[in-house]
Amino acid sequence: MTPAGDNAARADGAARADGRIGSRFDDRFLRKLESLALTIRRTTAGRSHGMRRSRRVGAGLEFADHRDYVPGDDLRHLDWNLYGRLERRALRLYEEDEDLSIDVLVDASLSMAMGQPPKLDLAFQIAAALAYVGLSNLDRVAVTALDAEAAGPPPGRGKARILPILRYLDALRPREGSPRTSLAAAVREFLSRRGGRRRGLVALVSDFYDPAGPRAALELIGRNRLEAIAVQISAPDELAPQLRGDLQLCDAETGETRELTISPRALADYTQRHAALLRELGGYCRERAIPCFTLSSDQPFDAVVLRMFRAGGLLG
Amino acid sequence: MKLQGLAKVIEGASGALPAATGAVIGVVGAAAITALYLLRLRRRRVVVAFAPLWLGAPGAERAARRTRRVRHWLSLALALGLFAAMLVGAVDVGLETGERGAIDQSGRSLRGGRSLVLLIDRSASMSATDEAGSRLAAGRQRGNEIVGSLTGADRALVASFAADVTAESGFESDPRRLARAIAGVGPSDEPGDLQRALAFAAAILRGRPRPTIVLVSDGGFTDDARRLAPVDADGRALDVRYAPVGRRADNIGILSLAARRIPADPGAVETALVVQSFRPAPSTVGVEISGGGLIVEKVTLTLAPGERRRLTLPNLFAPDTRIEARLTGVDDLAVDDDARATIPALPHRRILRVGGPDLYLDGALLGLGRTVHVERLPAADADRAAARARDFDLVVFDGVTPSVPPKEGRFLYFDPQGVGNPFAAAREARPVRDPVLDPASLHGDHPLLRQLDLTDVNIAEARRLALAPGDVALAASFDLPLIVARERPGLRIAALAFDPRRSDLPMRPAFPLLVANALAWAARDDAADATPGVDGGATVRDPRESDTKPVPTLALGGRTLTPPDPAPRHSRPRFGSWALMLAAALLLFDWLSYHRRWTT
Repeated sequence: MTPAGDNAARADGAARADGRIGSRFDDRFLRKLESLALTIRRTTAGRSHGMRRSRRVGAGLEFADHRDYVPGDDLRHLDWNLYGRLERRALRLYEEDEDLSIDVLVDASLSMAMGQPPKLDLAFQIAAALAYVGLSNLDRVAVTALDAEAAGPPPGRGKARILPILRYLDALRPREGSPRTSLAAAVREFLSRRGGRRRGLVALVSDFYDPAGPRAALELIGRNRLEAIAVQISAPDELAPQLRGDLQLCDAETGETRELTISPRALADYTQRHAALLRELGGYCRERAIPCFTLSSDQPFDAVVLRMFRAGGLLG
Repeated sequence: MKLQGLAKVIEGASGALPAATGAVIGVVGAAAITALYLLRLRRRRVVVAFAPLWLGAPGAERAARRTRRVRHWLSLALALGLFAAMLVGAVDVGLETGERGAIDQSGRSLRGGRSLVLLIDRSASMSATDEAGSRLAAGRQRGNEIVGSLTGADRALVASFAADVTAESGFESDPRRLARAIAGVGPSDEPGDLQRALAFAAAILRGRPRPTIVLVSDGGFTDDARRLAPVDADGRALDVRYAPVGRRADNIGILSLAARRIPADPGAVETALVVQSFRPAPSTVGVEISGGGLIVEKVTLTLAPGERRRLTLPNLFAPDTRIEARLTGVDDLAVDDDARATIPALPHRRILRVGGPDLYLDGALLGLGRTVHVERLPAADADRAAARARDFDLVVFDGVTPSVPPKEGRFLYFDPQGVGNPFAAAREARPVRDPVLDPASLHGDHPLLRQLDLTDVNIAEARRLALAPGDVALAASFDLPLIVARERPGLRIAALAFDPRRSDLPMRPAFPLLVANALAWAARDDAADATPGVDGGATVRDPRESDTKPVPTLALGGRTLTPPDPAPRHSRPRFGSWALMLAAALLLFDWLSYHRRWTT
């Protein structure tokens, strides 16, 4: 057993002993998570050492550049060789070794609770998987549920941090009764809370059913100079609905109702609009080189995550 | 009690819907349907993740909302139309029942349907063409009108009658089936048997509610046929209505036709024809007699109004076994304008001739044809011949007389004499010489003398015959009988008071005819009709069928029949079935539109 596997097993054992892991994440899930992390490590071996070098100039070992000395600078970083040859006072700058900040944003709105199986289940599983893989790479990982009542655990490093994340995700419930908050607004709120402290990667797991359009949230993330990953989840009955007849449609988030007769033509129109939404999202991501994954909630999460990492651009 | 109540409810439900109730139901039903539509249909609630994906553009949604509203009202209109059509259908039946079944003859208020037997006369007189097509066609039309006036609760049976009665249908309420049954009534050349038809109708109506008989006829029935009115099982007179057909009496008909072979001339026939005029004015009509495809006689008759003329044609050539008579001229009834009669073949007869050689008599016997077998006995065997008389149709004593007058048998005596003379006088008298036949004494209508011309017959002498009571002198010379006839039970004797050989009678055509007449008279069946014209081979018709005088009012059992009830149903269109068909069409359209999402 690898150290990571030991950690997971320990965490799993502790969790079971404490009874802190609920129905969403059971033993089988944790074993799958560990197996997934190993598989991903083998798949991405040679491409990454699990750590990323940031562009910040700091106390690293690798020379990065010079800059002119200004009074007050630490004289220990003054490049005396350069001064001796050119009589120019310049400081040596080094690239600072910095762990990657990964924010996994899970859309926990009521629309994500729809579907059979619910989209939220797969979203939480993917979020947990991404978090675990990130923690395994010694990255700083934070999982945040958008439009949820409870705030997520603070960012952390190390596999042991997976347990709070799992407990958080397990306890998450969509916030009912509240007016709808658009996905873009929730992301804006998250970004304001996060601040511009560091760059990083933001994985947004959502159905992207946003009145402002599917690209609005991703545009905000890109505007904050963060790398984005889009994971779009649809339920099978959203991809191919089986509704027929005279219905009173109720929007899961706004509660707004509309009477509608679902004829074959209306069904075709819906399918067309849904495909257009996915096309718009995919097109935007291609333009911005944003990894984008379109999933169905009935797909097994491990296969989904493996496919995502094999596609590249994730955590590597 | 509950079952009885339920039965009443069911009975009430199956009955017709009164108009007032229909109006109330209509108002309440329309209000209920409208209220339900205003409350709108409760639709199945389905929660979707993102409603805008289902709704499309706002403009399109507004248009769809307007369209939906239009469809909604269209659906309401459909439902109201369907309800109205069904209600009209139900109320229409109620109106029919109210119009036709509300009052009976005595003015009583009635409920429920009638049991009606429609009796259509199809006797020969119904073939008269004084109505459009024929009287039967008019009767069928009248029957259709009566059937069309039935209410939904009525049941009718169509029957036709002539000499017999035929049920053309069962008890039906479907006018189309009854109309088909009426259309199946065909003409007949038989007389109509009214009593039989009424008895049939009364029997079939026994135990049925509100029995009614409607008689469609021209009314040509005898007084006997009209004497009795039909009654029900309780002895009460049935309700009989009369729908007369026929406009005028314009007919001349052959009432009978008969023909028979003349034994003396087997190729010829004697024909008797009876023609009667039923016209109100004198008429002239031609009569054609044909046999074997050839017209053998043409006669023109002038008949007074109502005159019946008997026409005898004594000697017509008729090689065939059938003879036909036809009236020329146009009248209303064609079925009695011709008649056919089969000519019976001459019967085989046996004659015993007793006497010496007599070429005249042998010639006359030979002329009777091959159907007559003649045996001969000498004069000496006269007594033996009398004893064998039973074996022969005629025994001819030619100048000989058996010793004892016969008690039974059929005999022709020529110059009988002696103690065995059946016409022997108490005292033998001398023969009268040169008697003169008195033409006034001739009984030309007697079968023995039919078609004989005996005037100017010369007789050398005649013996005086004594007539017993019942004997007839068919020809005489003043008080001297010359030809006599005696008829007793089992005994027929004809006698000539003279020897034909001592007269010129054998030289005349009358002699073989006299022998033939004697054979026919002697062999005649006592039970047969004495009228020679209508015996075997005759066509006889009931003159009532030829009398096409219409009878506008008919009485049965002394009570004048009333016409059928008028048909108010025809005073307005029949909405019921159309309304129900419209309801079915609307229902189909509603179903189709709902499932195709055209409405709601």
